[in-house]
Amino acid sequence: MSALLIVFAAAILVLFLGINKPESAMKWPSVILLMLAGLVALSGVDLATWLTVPESMISYSSMDRLFVALLCGIGALVIAVFDALSSKGSDRLGLMMLSLTGAVMLVGQENLVMMFLGIEVMSIPLYVLAGSDKQNIFSNEAAIKYFLLGAFSTAILLLGSAFLYGATGTLVLQSMTHKASMYAHFGVYPPMLVAGLVLLAVGLLFKVSAVPFHFWAPDVYEGSPTRSTAFMATIVKIAGFSALLRVTMAFEPMSLWYQNAVAILAILSIIVGNMMGLVQSSPKRMLAYSSIAHAGYMLLVLLLVGQAQFEADSILYLYLVAYSIASTGAFAWIEWATQRSGKMDFTMFNGLSSNRWAIVNMVIVFLSLAGIPLTAGFAGKYYLFASAFSIHPLAVGFALLGTLLSIAYYFRAFRFAFADTQESTPNAKFSWVLMLVSVAILLVGCAPMWFMP
Amino acid sequence: MNTVFQQVDISHYIYLSTVLFSIGLFGVLFRRNAIVLLMCIELMLNSVNLLLTALSTYMGDAGGQLFVFFIMVVAAAEAAVGLAILVMVYRNTRNTTVNFLSNLKG
Repeated sequence: MSALLIVFAAAILVLFLGINKPESAMKWPSVILLMLAGLVALSGVDLATWLTVPESMISYSSMDRLFVALLCGIGALVIAVFDALSSKGSDRLGLMMLSLTGAVMLVGQENLVMMFLGIEVMSIPLYVLAGSDKQNIFSNEAAIKYFLLGAFSTAILLLGSAFLYGATGTLVLQSMTHKASMYAHFGVYPPMLVAGLVLLAVGLLFKVSAVPFHFWAPDVYEGSPTRSTAFMATIVKIAGFSALLRVTMAFEPMSLWYQNAVAILAILSIIVGNMMGLVQSSPKRMLAYSSIAHAGYMLLVLLLVGQAQFEADSILYLYLVAYSIASTGAFAWIEWATQRSGKMDFTMFNGLSSNRWAIVNMVIVFLSLAGIPLTAGFAGKYYLFASAFSIHPLAVGFALLGTLLSIAYYFRAFRFAFADTQESTPNAKFSWVLMLVSVAILLVGCAPMWFMP
Repeated sequence: MNTVFQQVDISHYIYLSTVLFSIGLFGVLFRRNAIVLLMCIELMLNSVNLLLTALSTYMGDAGGQLFVFFIMVVAAAEAAVGLAILVMVYRNTRNTTVNFLSNLKG
């Protein structure tokens, strides 16, 4: 709860103090504030004891607090790792932190009202951020596509909530579990409950861009400014999957009924994400498809819910740590390579190998996304696949196949980097934060136990 | 003594709001003008409001009506941002249909 208040206060503070200041002036203060919020969430101190919040609305368990710390940490990382863009005002930083507020709300929700509010508070600033490059027609297109499809998916999610409310008579997730177990006991599900659950799931799957609700993601990711893309690809995925997990846990008594549907969606996401990733000519678009594939892997976590021998939430947490650090790093490297070469397609990596430090760090980031041992991505995938194998071997088989395919397109960047080109390569500098990303990836990869609650 | 609203069976409210929602849904799928799309999305949200209010009255639980207030506030914020985005797009393209939005492909 305290972390939520700190993030919100920081967002308002940055919005108002930074009205006429360049972004570079507010960049490090916002990073420090977000780190502070993350530390408060980790430590679990309650700074606002005077504030009583009903447990049926929002509450943070120790696991939720870890998710909050991850959100704040990744938010700080995204702000720190990208160059300040605007010299006129730092409203974009404020918007990012407002969006983060929504994500933190979404992690702690116990109630469909809070879930809706969290999703919207998270999404509305993101629509603005997607279009924050106002003169750029691609950014415009990304913003309007993201807005229309986001609002559309919210409406579907709301209809689902209303149906669930009608079927169970409550908006509190915990009370819904009682009703669901009652229906599961008799083996009959009223159509309103089924329709509500399906519509709610569709709304949430839209947000995390799982197939077949993924079609907006490549366009939006490609068109938005890279910093906003990195923010979308990490923060929305973390918060969205935490909400999906919460809903799945609430309807766990009905797990036999939806298990196969989840597996099919996961397999579809993995196949479509990886196959389409192979044929892209723009690295940003390739990463968009890769994030769809990652959403597919993470959907496998939902199969573990209700199995006493696995802790679905800590497996998901480790995967999200690995995915979001590497994803932020990958987008940051793409931005760096674009600025260096001025190109948007894979040729941006041409001749990169002459810059030793850059290429070593970049290789680590992409290896982690692909899931090569000793990187964070491998640790996340290993725990996930090993646990899911006993539940649904077929889906894990497809996931392994998808991982193999994904190596092909992640390594395509290296083919260009190591190609022997005659082009002169300006030796652009990169920030030390990018090295920190690689160090974090190796740390998580070598000692995943430290990061698994 | 029941009000007129309570005498109407709950199923009618459910059918009505589902039909309204579907009109909005098909509007989003088949219309091409961004402003009309925005209106269709509002229609979808408002049909949910109607359903929630009816269910809330039917079950004698205030939670649904509370939800409606949140939905209305958020819908207003969303419409404000959406129209701002539309103005930004219009300045660059002099057009409000979504057909021209096909620069991003791959």
